[in-house]
Amino acid sequence: MAILTEVISFKDVSLNFGGVQALKNVSFDIKENSLFAIIGPNGAGKTSLLNCINGIYKPTTGSISIFEKDSKELHPDEIANLGISRTFQNIELFENMTALDNILIGAHRHVNYGPIRSLFYSKKVREEEKKARQISENVIDFLEIEEYRYSFILSLPYGIQKRIELGRALAMEPKVLLLDEPAAGMNNEETEDIARFILDIHEELGITVILIDHDMNMVMDIATEVVVMDFGEKLFQGNPADAARDQKVIDAYLGVS
Amino acid sequence: MRKRPDLYTNYKSESAIFSTLTQKVWFVLLLFISLLLPFYLSNYWMLLVTTSLLIAIASWGLNIVSGMAGQINLAHGVFVGIGAYTSAVIGGVATSSVIGFELDMIFWLPISGAVAALIGVIISPVSARLKGLNLGLVTLAIVFIGSHFFSNLKFITGGAGLGRKAAKLKFLGFDLDSGISIGNLILEKNDVIYYFSLILCILLGIGAKNLTRTKIGRAFSAIRDRDIAAEALGINLFKFKMYAFALSSFYAGIAGSIIFIISGGVEPGTFSLLYSITFIAIVIIGGVGTVLGPLYGAFFFTMLPGIIQVILHALGVADTGFFLNAGEIERIVFGFFIIFFLVFEPRGIWGIWFRLRNYFKAWPFSY
Repeated sequence: MAILTEVISFKDVSLNFGGVQALKNVSFDIKENSLFAIIGPNGAGKTSLLNCINGIYKPTTGSISIFEKDSKELHPDEIANLGISRTFQNIELFENMTALDNILIGAHRHVNYGPIRSLFYSKKVREEEKKARQISENVIDFLEIEEYRYSFILSLPYGIQKRIELGRALAMEPKVLLLDEPAAGMNNEETEDIARFILDIHEELGITVILIDHDMNMVMDIATEVVVMDFGEKLFQGNPADAARDQKVIDAYLGVS
Repeated sequence: MRKRPDLYTNYKSESAIFSTLTQKVWFVLLLFISLLLPFYLSNYWMLLVTTSLLIAIASWGLNIVSGMAGQINLAHGVFVGIGAYTSAVIGGVATSSVIGFELDMIFWLPISGAVAALIGVIISPVSARLKGLNLGLVTLAIVFIGSHFFSNLKFITGGAGLGRKAAKLKFLGFDLDSGISIGNLILEKNDVIYYFSLILCILLGIGAKNLTRTKIGRAFSAIRDRDIAAEALGINLFKFKMYAFALSSFYAGIAGSIIFIISGGVEPGTFSLLYSITFIAIVIIGGVGTVLGPLYGAFFFTMLPGIIQVILHALGVADTGFFLNAGEIERIVFGFFIIFFLVFEPRGIWGIWFRLRNYFKAWPFSY
């Protein structure tokens, strides 16, 4: 394994929405090449963490550094262009477009030309479009969604939509992939499929994966490191097997009297 | 053996504008008919066709910013006006009250587009902070600001109620205002404008299609459908909204620079709110977000008065004391069609065409 460096580090991050404290002094580092899971009960602040990494929310106090850059100074699209891509908890696909077009939009940052070239459909445009299509086809191949290529998103079942959203994120060829509940609402078989894809993404493509999920079996099986959140606070960080034995984690999940 | 039309075996044929032979044949046929049109149609109908082509160009512009990129723009007519006045200043004749440089079309055509695009870029930051109805209201303000400038910059526009002459039609040194004769072939001024419009319409139409099949068009649709997701995918919203406004106003500017040469003059009162709304109606009737929709919509809108006239004459009520005149009937019918399309066929004329085509593709089977 390569030298372990931090790709993302949280330093005393707090996030307030008016009186609601979504995150309270959270600090942790995410190492390169890890499969990092964030778990916790509903409302624990897991998605807020992702939104902070992603730049959709800016931390009220504290700082997040992404590839040693301060996230406060970056727009969401600049953060994305650093190589951070994500999927959303509720599918955020472009519903009026085909699966292929969605994945092509994912490849946006690899396509480089301006609007005037686009009007003329110049040689450069054709080459760049071909490149984007190649990237998309690789992703389609990887996720085994060939048959849905030309289907409109609205006509596809939920499980496939989730997979296409994963494909759209992968088409960015990211260094870090943020997955917000990739297995939500799926049956056991589909969850296993997704788990297999996540492992493949992590091992074959060498992408650092940050994963939020409620499916404890899956998280415990595949994660290399886990952070447990509760009411905006970090309860535990470390090995998944240890998390299951930690008294504070058990209390948070089962409740204490 | 005939190929399956939807089976693509290489990237090139899949991304082509005309992917099947049938489409190519129809395009060539249509082009051929369009080239011969001035020899068979009367002056009145030629004027309508020319206007349709130019209105189509402007509507494509609105379709780029509102249909593709989803940014409501109620001020599209103002950009048409900017194009019209830029061409009038650069290509028009100076008088005691207005300025004009009498330059060649080769200068004023691109500059009209560029000036309109520049103004589009200047107002685009508004869309970076506002969405939907709020953006619509701000663009509404632009209509009134535009009207104010058009009425008061008298050395450019001639002032309200008076107006000025449009640009002179001079291309590569040839004075085309009094027509041109090539051998036995005599082309009048309006025929020349028709051919220019046809060429521009084809080129800019292909441009609009090119946008939809490349990254720019995809980014526009992404911004329209889900802007947060688009941003998370690395699309710079500010930049692409600026592109949308610039391209849209460029189309409007080009259309505006020629359209008033047909009637010979421009009057500031033309560019009212109603004028801008007309383009929205055309895009809705034609089909929002489609490439061919605005073209259909423009022809529909421009041809409607002609068709109503014909019907009125046929019914014999044109000159008699019918309680509505042709203009009023036209407006009522047009308003009715807007409601009809919004309620029953949101995809516009393009949607009707799409369903008809699919029906006859499988004919006589229903699936």
